[in-house]
Amino acid sequence: MTVTVDVTAQLIAQRIASTIDPVFAMIDGWRDAVERAIATEPEPRAATLDPIIAALVAPELERPGSLITGAGFVATPGFLLDAPWHLAWWLSGANTFRAAPDAGLRRLDAVNDPDSEQFRDYTTLEWWRVPERTGTRHLTGPYVDYLCTDDYTVTITTPVMAAGELAGMVGTDLYVARLERVLLPVIRESGHPCSLVNASGRIVTSTDPHRATGALLRLDGLVDALTPLRNAVTETDAAVLPSGATIVPCGDTSLALVLEG
Amino acid sequence: MPQATGRSDATRAVVFSPLDAAGRAELVEQRLTDAIVAGVLRDGERLPSESELARSLGVAVVTAREALESLRDKGLVLTRRGRDGGSFVTHDRDATTRMVDERVRAQSRIELRDLSLHYAAIAGMAAEVAADRASDDDVQSLVEIDERADLTTPGGARRAVGRFQLEIAAVSQSPRLVHEELRLQAETGSLLWLCMREQDYRDRSRQARLEVIEAIRAVEPERARRVTTEHIASAVEWLIEEKVRLEASEPPGASGATGPPGASVAERTEGGAA
Repeated sequence: MTVTVDVTAQLIAQRIASTIDPVFAMIDGWRDAVERAIATEPEPRAATLDPIIAALVAPELERPGSLITGAGFVATPGFLLDAPWHLAWWLSGANTFRAAPDAGLRRLDAVNDPDSEQFRDYTTLEWWRVPERTGTRHLTGPYVDYLCTDDYTVTITTPVMAAGELAGMVGTDLYVARLERVLLPVIRESGHPCSLVNASGRIVTSTDPHRATGALLRLDGLVDALTPLRNAVTETDAAVLPSGATIVPCGDTSLALVLEG
Repeated sequence: MPQATGRSDATRAVVFSPLDAAGRAELVEQRLTDAIVAGVLRDGERLPSESELARSLGVAVVTAREALESLRDKGLVLTRRGRDGGSFVTHDRDATTRMVDERVRAQSRIELRDLSLHYAAIAGMAAEVAADRASDDDVQSLVEIDERADLTTPGGARRAVGRFQLEIAAVSQSPRLVHEELRLQAETGSLLWLCMREQDYRDRSRQARLEVIEAIRAVEPERARRVTTEHIASAVEWLIEEKVRLEASEPPGASGATGPPGASVAERTEGGAA
């Protein structure tokens, strides 16, 4: 079904996509670099891979004004010879998770021992499960990430392959508060009551002060209209709900603009 | 006498050093004790080294060392020397039971009720908001946490409650509620859910969990909150009954003492004679 959509709305959706696309491009770049690094490595080890990951993510984590607060590589269990479970994840100075005063760029202290009470099997988490199944990039959240950033977060992950097998995920965390600061001025330009939602209909930010970030936008037919965003990776057409609200997908970000009234 | 002057200055410096430093070892010790008793830190688990502990808790190395020594004295930690050495949690069931009983006795009813009220405020609100904000995936993960619950042991049942309540807080989408939930679990979890010693209460905790999931699925925030707070209230009622039982069986400070049976009772009848 093709719907005629306000040109401004289309434009705003594109601008939201173009705010997030550089983050996608950056992660794709990391994926390519990690794939190249492990392709030449018959016996991949954390000891040799970790410095490579650090060198990839550190510049962006330390760049002033960067949107991201955490980034790195998470290995498929058993892929690395010297570390069955492995998170090579770095946090920026802006990340407050268990930060000492004046903390700069630092590595996430992850529990990699499956016998420990604190151990969490990361392959059960959405940011691993979904890209593992679809074989492509996934935007998880907004959600409270109590394992990694300790804050309200969006995580973007993409699979890293080695000889046709899943070697792990590269990814990054963004604070929703920062994302809102960047995206809210953009959606305000629509002149309509307008909300940005994820593929589950959860509000990322809204021009309506009574629509809280994190709440589900409950509109008749919205969940069905968003189904293609949950499944497909290609761009989806706009749709109109029975209430008259228009859903405009933001490029291939899996986010959508909902214009009411 | 320069040395003497120097010494006196150092002593003066201690007198006027920040008071914050005092009692820090006790705070570290209390936090680790709570974590061991609650089963957050498990039997045989290696604790971070003195310097790692000091760094992560933001205290001096001597403070961390002092706290570890007290834990060793209490029999909660064992230190091994050598290549695979370090400090390890020794989760002696009897020692833990004694320690928890002691805490139940030491805390007044007012404190226990206040603690449960504070926790109910956090957990109840989290459940209420979660019922409004849960996606289908969120409901599914709550169902999975419930299915993995081990109700055959008190520790298993307590951990299941902890996991479930933490997920509820996460589903509420509030970082602050998640923080508070984690903090209160570490601080009071072992005490509040002591009723899990009884199979009947473990089964009830499962019933409460299933009803909260139903309320969330049906988007009934009020019901999710009510079931959560009632569950917590029933736990504290059990706890206070247990306190009465403990006090009746062994008056505080009466270990080995053979005074007249009425004496300790009279002591505790506060202002009864006035």
